[in-house]
Amino acid sequence: MASWPSSPTLLGKSTRRLDGPAKASGRATYAYDIRRPGMLYARIVRSPHAHARVRAVNVSAAEKAPGVRAVLPLVDVSQPDAAKAMYQGDEVVAIAADTEEQAHDAARLVTVDYEVLPHLATVEQAMRPEAPAVFPKGNVTQGSLEEEGDLAAGFAAAAHVVEGTYSTQVQTHSCLETHGCVAEWEGDRLTAWVSTQAVHATANGVATALGVPQTNVRIITEYMGGGFGSKLGPDFEVVVASKLARQAGKPVKLMLDRKEEQLGTGNRPSAYAKVRAGVDAQGKFVAFDAETWGTGGAGQGAGFPLPYPVYVWTSRRRRHRDVYINAGPQRAMRAPGHPQGSFITEVVIDELADKLGMDPLELRLKNLPPEEPNRMWGKYFQMAAARIGWSRRHKTGDPAPGPIKRGLGCAANRWGGGGSQQTRGHAEIHPDGSALIRIGTQDIGTGTRTVLALIVAETYGLPLGAVKVEIGDSRYPFAPGSGGSVTIGSVSPVARIAAEQALGQLVAKVAPSIGADPLALAAKDGRIFVKDDPSTGVTWKEACTLLGTTPIVVDSQWEKGLSSVGTSGVQFADVEVDVETGVTRVKKIVCVQDTGLIVDKLTAESQCYGGITMGIGFALYEHRILDRNTARMVNPNMEWYLLPGPSDIPEIDITLVDQPERGVVGLGEPPTISTAAAIANAVANAIGARVRDLPVTPAHVLAALDRQREGGTL
Amino acid sequence: MDHPTPASRLVTPLHCSHLRHKGMYVRAEEDPDLTSVLGATAYWCAKTQKSFGPDGDAVSRDACQHGRGCCG
Repeated sequence: MASWPSSPTLLGKSTRRLDGPAKASGRATYAYDIRRPGMLYARIVRSPHAHARVRAVNVSAAEKAPGVRAVLPLVDVSQPDAAKAMYQGDEVVAIAADTEEQAHDAARLVTVDYEVLPHLATVEQAMRPEAPAVFPKGNVTQGSLEEEGDLAAGFAAAAHVVEGTYSTQVQTHSCLETHGCVAEWEGDRLTAWVSTQAVHATANGVATALGVPQTNVRIITEYMGGGFGSKLGPDFEVVVASKLARQAGKPVKLMLDRKEEQLGTGNRPSAYAKVRAGVDAQGKFVAFDAETWGTGGAGQGAGFPLPYPVYVWTSRRRRHRDVYINAGPQRAMRAPGHPQGSFITEVVIDELADKLGMDPLELRLKNLPPEEPNRMWGKYFQMAAARIGWSRRHKTGDPAPGPIKRGLGCAANRWGGGGSQQTRGHAEIHPDGSALIRIGTQDIGTGTRTVLALIVAETYGLPLGAVKVEIGDSRYPFAPGSGGSVTIGSVSPVARIAAEQALGQLVAKVAPSIGADPLALAAKDGRIFVKDDPSTGVTWKEACTLLGTTPIVVDSQWEKGLSSVGTSGVQFADVEVDVETGVTRVKKIVCVQDTGLIVDKLTAESQCYGGITMGIGFALYEHRILDRNTARMVNPNMEWYLLPGPSDIPEIDITLVDQPERGVVGLGEPPTISTAAAIANAVANAIGARVRDLPVTPAHVLAALDRQREGGTL
Repeated sequence: MDHPTPASRLVTPLHCSHLRHKGMYVRAEEDPDLTSVLGATAYWCAKTQKSFGPDGDAVSRDACQHGRGCCG
């Protein structure tokens, strides 16, 4: 039975990424950087219309254009029901040419006869009774109901009730490296260098879509530039590039541009909730009743947990409906559903606290479930409160003179982040002393390479640089996609088990040579020695020479006991709001987050920094805006789709709670969940008015202040 | 060539064998408190690799069941 070391040398320390220099210097090879001999460049012709039937496509001029090597219709006009564009950016034709410019020129020569159809640009349009029937089974789903406890009795027991409608916007993934790949055939074998979060899933998906054996498909992802849930399969682009490459007999590069990325590669759905919630005179949450809806775009759901499952409500009811509009479909996005549910729930709680006249932190503490290793919010709330200086919090509405108002807010998060029992690994120790760990996972920017090297180096008692890590190839042993915060819980146990087994074989060779029992030996500081007599031993290199010419090779699989499920965390926000301009500036975020056994403190903190920065974007800036008349996105770029820049990122104070007894637990999702809720509550605490809609733009702030002057939002 | 449908809590034998979602490729131990997130799952079709099936209609758990023309 494998276990984690009780007194680690490397684990838990702050270790710089192995691939940091390669990334910082530009030497790291992303899919975007791949160049193959004779490579062609692909371009996709997309519908400019949000909803249209493709009646005819004429590619004859494009086929004759200079440099064009392959043209691939992507709609079958003989099937009028299927030959439709369902959103702006839906694919119609793909072209591959010798140069990017030739591909662009040829794409402009494609003529498409569109029959523009009625479209739905907003949730409100789609929900109207007279809305055109755009989706065969209706624009709005019949819905589902969740209910627990006696709601009528809950409201009867309520001393105070809050009612309001809350909303969050559509957020796009905005990966810095866009979706795409380079695809190359050698006979009937396909190799694709893909920007993906899942090399094995991509191999499986491409093989399925092309109808070829999976053994003939190889996916390579040495480095990738962000996915956030939008790159968990091969995507349409990889299939199209593979078909073009097969047609042309040459490698094809198809990387999307920023506009394509914004239109069609996924997003976080919007969320709307009409909420009525009650609290009794003692501060117990007694009732939560919500009608919720949202859009995941064309034909996709928009669910989110509500009330957010941190606090205990005596009774709750929730009806949810998905609304379809003619916009790019949603995909999983970092903690799918959770930021929306967290925002709505936590803002309602602050409003209840104001009604009750109770400190919102005290109210939260009264309504938490009993503490468990993955439910430590009570303790973390108090830790974070001390770090942000909660004692200086004023009641809602900063009484200070002048236009700049200061406020504090808080919120909690939770996530699963377990490990996958399907994960496999491969370890080698060679006679020259070199060591290798190989797993078919991928580093999506989270430091997986470094983490694996740390675990193996710790096991062997070697420095970090002594271990070679091979990942990012579907030919390597199976590992799940890097989503759902499962990577560390999947690959870390496998690496530890493989390394322990390999070390066991090496120790078995060493023991007779020094006349010791193998069980009495340890590996540390580059030596293998007798635990009770460290002077008796050999160096790692000397030990490996005992292997002769045969390396140690171990194949391992995931076992329970080295990882756990479930994280808990809290975040506090300190903001300044200018009530004359409506501009919000986040001054500080305090984050307290548990994460099981910390393997690399630096990369774990990086997850928090990244998640919080993304949460600030969700809170204040990011918004996919569709023209209400055409359903076309008006900001499909990095100029008007606002992401937080360096000057928007505040001081971020992170406390990671190490829980070595729990083994590793994923950390990718939780830090982004509660940021927007904490900021929104801090804004209300500053200005004395509620902003119930994300993002908290200047316009929303000023509107909330106007409503308050007219009769109040509190 | 047939490729087997990956195991899933959401996709049953009643569903099209080409229905896919993230959870099929990111299988791990689950937190029982978090298994009921209404409709948060994004679906796609293994045949088209899009969120629309070969018939042009949207892919979903409700829609992609035997009886739909393109269902495999």
